[in-house]
Amino acid sequence: MPKGYFGEYLTLAFFAGMMLLLVAGTLGLNKLVSPKVHRDEKYLTYECGVDPVGGGWSQTQIRYYLFGLLFVVFDVEAVFLFPWAVVFDKLGTAAFVEMVIFIGILALGLAYAWRKKVLEWL
Amino acid sequence: MPVAWVLILSSFLFSVGIYGVLARRNAVLVLMSIELMLNAANINFVVFNLLLHSISYIGQVFALFIITIAAAELGVGLAIVILIFRNRSTVSIDEVSLMKW
Amino acid sequence: MQIDYAAVAPELVLTGALCIVLVVDLVLPDNRKGLIMPVSLLGVAGTLLALLALAGDPTRTTLGGMFVVDSFAVTLKILFCVAALLTLAMSYDYLRKEGIHQGEFYFLLLCSLLGMLTIASSRDLLPIFVSLELVSVPAFVLAGLQKIDVKSNEAALKFFLFSILSTAVMLFGMSLIYGITGTTNLAEIAVRLAATPVLRSIAVLSVFFVVVGFGFKISAFPFQWWVPDTYEGSPVPVAAFLSVASKTAGFVGLLQIMFIAFHGLADVWRPFIAAVAILTMTFGNLVALTQRHIVRLLAYSSIGQAGYILLPLAVVNVNGGSVNHEAFAASIAYLLIYAFMEMGAFSVAVAYGREGGYFIDDYAGLGYRAPGLAVVMTVFLFSLAGIPPLAGWAAKLFIFRAVIDGHEYWLAVAMAVNTVIALFYYAKVVRRMFFEPAGDGPLGVKVPLLLQATIAVSTVMVLLVGILPDLAAHLARMSTLV
Repeated sequence: MPKGYFGEYLTLAFFAGMMLLLVAGTLGLNKLVSPKVHRDEKYLTYECGVDPVGGGWSQTQIRYYLFGLLFVVFDVEAVFLFPWAVVFDKLGTAAFVEMVIFIGILALGLAYAWRKKVLEWL
Repeated sequence: MPVAWVLILSSFLFSVGIYGVLARRNAVLVLMSIELMLNAANINFVVFNLLLHSISYIGQVFALFIITIAAAELGVGLAIVILIFRNRSTVSIDEVSLMKW
Repeated sequence: MQIDYAAVAPELVLTGALCIVLVVDLVLPDNRKGLIMPVSLLGVAGTLLALLALAGDPTRTTLGGMFVVDSFAVTLKILFCVAALLTLAMSYDYLRKEGIHQGEFYFLLLCSLLGMLTIASSRDLLPIFVSLELVSVPAFVLAGLQKIDVKSNEAALKFFLFSILSTAVMLFGMSLIYGITGTTNLAEIAVRLAATPVLRSIAVLSVFFVVVGFGFKISAFPFQWWVPDTYEGSPVPVAAFLSVASKTAGFVGLLQIMFIAFHGLADVWRPFIAAVAILTMTFGNLVALTQRHIVRLLAYSSIGQAGYILLPLAVVNVNGGSVNHEAFAASIAYLLIYAFMEMGAFSVAVAYGREGGYFIDDYAGLGYRAPGLAVVMTVFLFSLAGIPPLAGWAAKLFIFRAVIDGHEYWLAVAMAVNTVIALFYYAKVVRRMFFEPAGDGPLGVKVPLLLQATIAVSTVMVLLVGILPDLAAHLARMSTLV
């Protein structure tokens, strides 16, 4: 075994070369001896053994968008709760009442969506 | 952190947004481009607040308001786009133009 | 932080009212939805009362200097409330006949009104931004209220895209201003801009961004493309509301920012504003000449009017002084008078449109078939054209005087030329009504009571201010910020 600073790297290079040779050898052997039968089915997408139907692009149910919109809007309004919660103990009851009103107005929006039958899955 | 980097990033985002608004014909992609422009403003506000060592945190608060209002606005916008899709089966801005001059 | 609840009382009343409107809409059965209209009318009337209680009080400042109630704020808030009342009265029968009478209309209208009230008091970039959005977002939905009408859809989409794009541009400008000055308070911005001349170029850039953003809202050239399509496509009372209240809200924001925060940079933006104002009025008036649809005609005419209102900004002096005061007052006076003539013209269009149609050809011979309607329409159109002794004449005179005082004579000439151009298309409609044989339109038009009230109020205001222009001038001089 060669010694010295670059010697260590020579060892590394030897092992790397061996590794590449091994991989290339096995894969090449596989290519060489394996039987080759070309059929159309082989080029299809694998879907749990079931024949794929239709294209790769699919449409989502359009009625789902209402849930998506409602979720995003209410989710984002929660942003105002975090800074309020951080300084809550310094602000006292007035801030608490104000936040209750804020959430009350949000709840009114939710009640509106509920009454308009947006929340039901038709 | 040099302020120039931030400005380059936010101006880049803003320009990409402007390009998207002008070049894209799909209404949904236009909405996404506008969102990029809003986020450019958000980056500016947050970073300027950090660099200015402002004790009032007005920049951060401004960013929060932009985020929430943008969500509400895009909610309304998407609803309009879907309404148009239902009536016209298209979301291309060029095709949605019955009225001229 | 202590909140001065007396200062925000009108806004609180309106917020309560609009929550009640929403609840009432949810609990009422479908056949009793008509009740929502009186509830919202009461809500706006209550807000108006709360405002009148504040009138004449010394200036109140609250919410850390963001919210100021002074004579400027109170005057404009009263104007917004009156415009909302007129819109409510105008829309009730229209919505019923069009089959789009929904509780949401009233809720959204009141939401938009709330935004207008807060923008008049906002002395900080943050509330100005939030209020502008509160004005616009419900208005998108209002414009698209006729869900199955593709024109209404298109109106909403165009309005939405232009508006949100302008908001994004404006916000980028605001963020740069914050970066340069480290504050969002308008008065503070002016102080710090004067103190840091080094960053002047970025300051100019951000002023440009902000002006572009507001340019969309007030339909200034070249950002006016959405206006005619949105007005034509949306329900006509909504178009009236947009052209009066929404545009005034945009102007209120712009005037505050330009006069308080950016007047130190006036040397740079003055020529730009002058060019925009001239192009706006010329474009609006020239294209209006070719219009055949009354709402589109009014839309282009409102673009032209926006040009006049913008004009006084082009004489702002860097050092302040009486020129600024007069310029500010001229814009405010024009806004006050413009609201009534525009509302009046739109309500006549609504009154006649159901039975007669919305094309100018449909107005042929209206002078024989419905003389009353034809006469009031003439009053509003001639007032918009600026013919004495109607209110529009006084409004134009204020602007003219402010521009002359600022020694910008060429602007005055451009305005005079535009007034003459505008006279052509207003007179065209009037000629149709009186000097052309009656078409096959309906004989005698039945105008619902509420609509009659709207027309009557607008007519009285237009005539009154026309005879006593000092009323508007005095109110406007009292309500300036410089």
